[in-house]
Amino acid sequence: MKKIILSALFVLFFAASSFALPQPQARVEQMVDSILGVLQQPELSAEEKKAQVSGRVQEYLNVQSMSRRTLGDHWDSATEDQRQRFSELFVRILEGTYLSRIEDYSAGTVKYLEQRVKDDKAIIDTLIVSNELEIPVQYKMIYEQGSWQVFDLVIEGVSLVRNYRSSYGEIIRRKGYDGLLALMDEKVQAMDSSL
Amino acid sequence: MVLRVFTLLFVGYFILAGSVLADDFDSAFGDDDTTVAEKLISDPFQPFNRGTFWVNDKLYFYLFKPVAKGYRWAIPRPARVSVGNFFSNLATPIRAGNALLQFKFRDFGTETYRFVINTTFGIGGLFDPAESIAGVKGTVEDFGQTLGYYRVGHGFYLVLPIVGPSSLRDATGFFVDSFADPLRYANLETREFMGVKFLDSENRLSLDRDTYEGIIHDSIDPYLFIRAAYVQRRLAQVGEDSYNVNIFEGPLFDSDILNPFDWFGF
Repeated sequence: MKKIILSALFVLFFAASSFALPQPQARVEQMVDSILGVLQQPELSAEEKKAQVSGRVQEYLNVQSMSRRTLGDHWDSATEDQRQRFSELFVRILEGTYLSRIEDYSAGTVKYLEQRVKDDKAIIDTLIVSNELEIPVQYKMIYEQGSWQVFDLVIEGVSLVRNYRSSYGEIIRRKGYDGLLALMDEKVQAMDSSL
Repeated sequence: MVLRVFTLLFVGYFILAGSVLADDFDSAFGDDDTTVAEKLISDPFQPFNRGTFWVNDKLYFYLFKPVAKGYRWAIPRPARVSVGNFFSNLATPIRAGNALLQFKFRDFGTETYRFVINTTFGIGGLFDPAESIAGVKGTVEDFGQTLGYYRVGHGFYLVLPIVGPSSLRDATGFFVDSFADPLRYANLETREFMGVKFLDSENRLSLDRDTYEGIIHDSIDPYLFIRAAYVQRRLAQVGEDSYNVNIFEGPLFDSDILNPFDWFGF
């Protein structure tokens, strides 16, 4: 009897530390595999690859959370309309950034190093290996609406959200919120025409 | 009794491990709900820096990049990788010295090992058997990082001509490191020295995959984007908690051939 209680406690202990949520790393693997699956199809043209990947990336990103973190307190003072407008442009810039670098990642393999989970947050450490290059990529995730979603990417120690927050913050201070939106709009147009 | 002690130890271990994990984990999310737009580095000379940035941009597109493209076309990749290995091996004193100054004995050992193996088996540093066979990767150490280790801040942001993003601290470090550069003592004339440095940077550029072009293409203000990335990258190199990818976990030596512990039967 004592034994059973002990082992029950044991199980509880372990279950509690890994929580009842599904594993976030599985989600990252799913995303990476889905994207690599598209990239590694030789019969697709570069344009087709980009078109197919662009929808898939969005499925896994938490755009709302990324936008809020990027704008910091400017998010709070923005109107609903401005927030909406920002999120739309931001997604397209993130996508454009990703798509323009897509070739670099398509040849690589991804190693999963470590998964750390605490409550509704998780950090997944991965390594992209290609040629003699090794790029550490860390995914920061949050559990929302029934799934794990990526809200930041840390590449070689550089957090994407932090980078955007620092540069967009400065642009807002100098040119105002609408100034930022105008610049973003311009960038999106330029990205579209260069595809 | 024994069981109880064991259980206590066991639970204690978990609480301890839990708290260590929590510190680490929370610091990685430390900037999450920042309500203040964060300022990563002060930049009082921004107009001046932007001027230098503009000049560097033109130099890049009209001088360095075209030369690198011609060089890339003329010299096969393996040869260029070897040139890169050679320069990297030559700069070992800078990395090893700074590792020592920061009491990073493991990095110091790594650099010493790599220098010995690559200079001998790697034919004067042209090849990198220390990594390709033994799996021992190089480190990134410089005097700017050493200063960071002793809690010296950046001071302010600085864009150096040709060199690019830097800071008061890192530019000082760059200058100090140049004294540990063996090339300095190779009795080269100024022109020859500049030529060798030019080759080093062009070679590096020829192996790069349009990183700078990517940033120009992606960001609405490349100056600000590069500044933020530079500061974050340096923070990571100095060893802030938010950057703790465990790439160095696992066995130190992948192979027995170049494992000195194995040679001497440890």
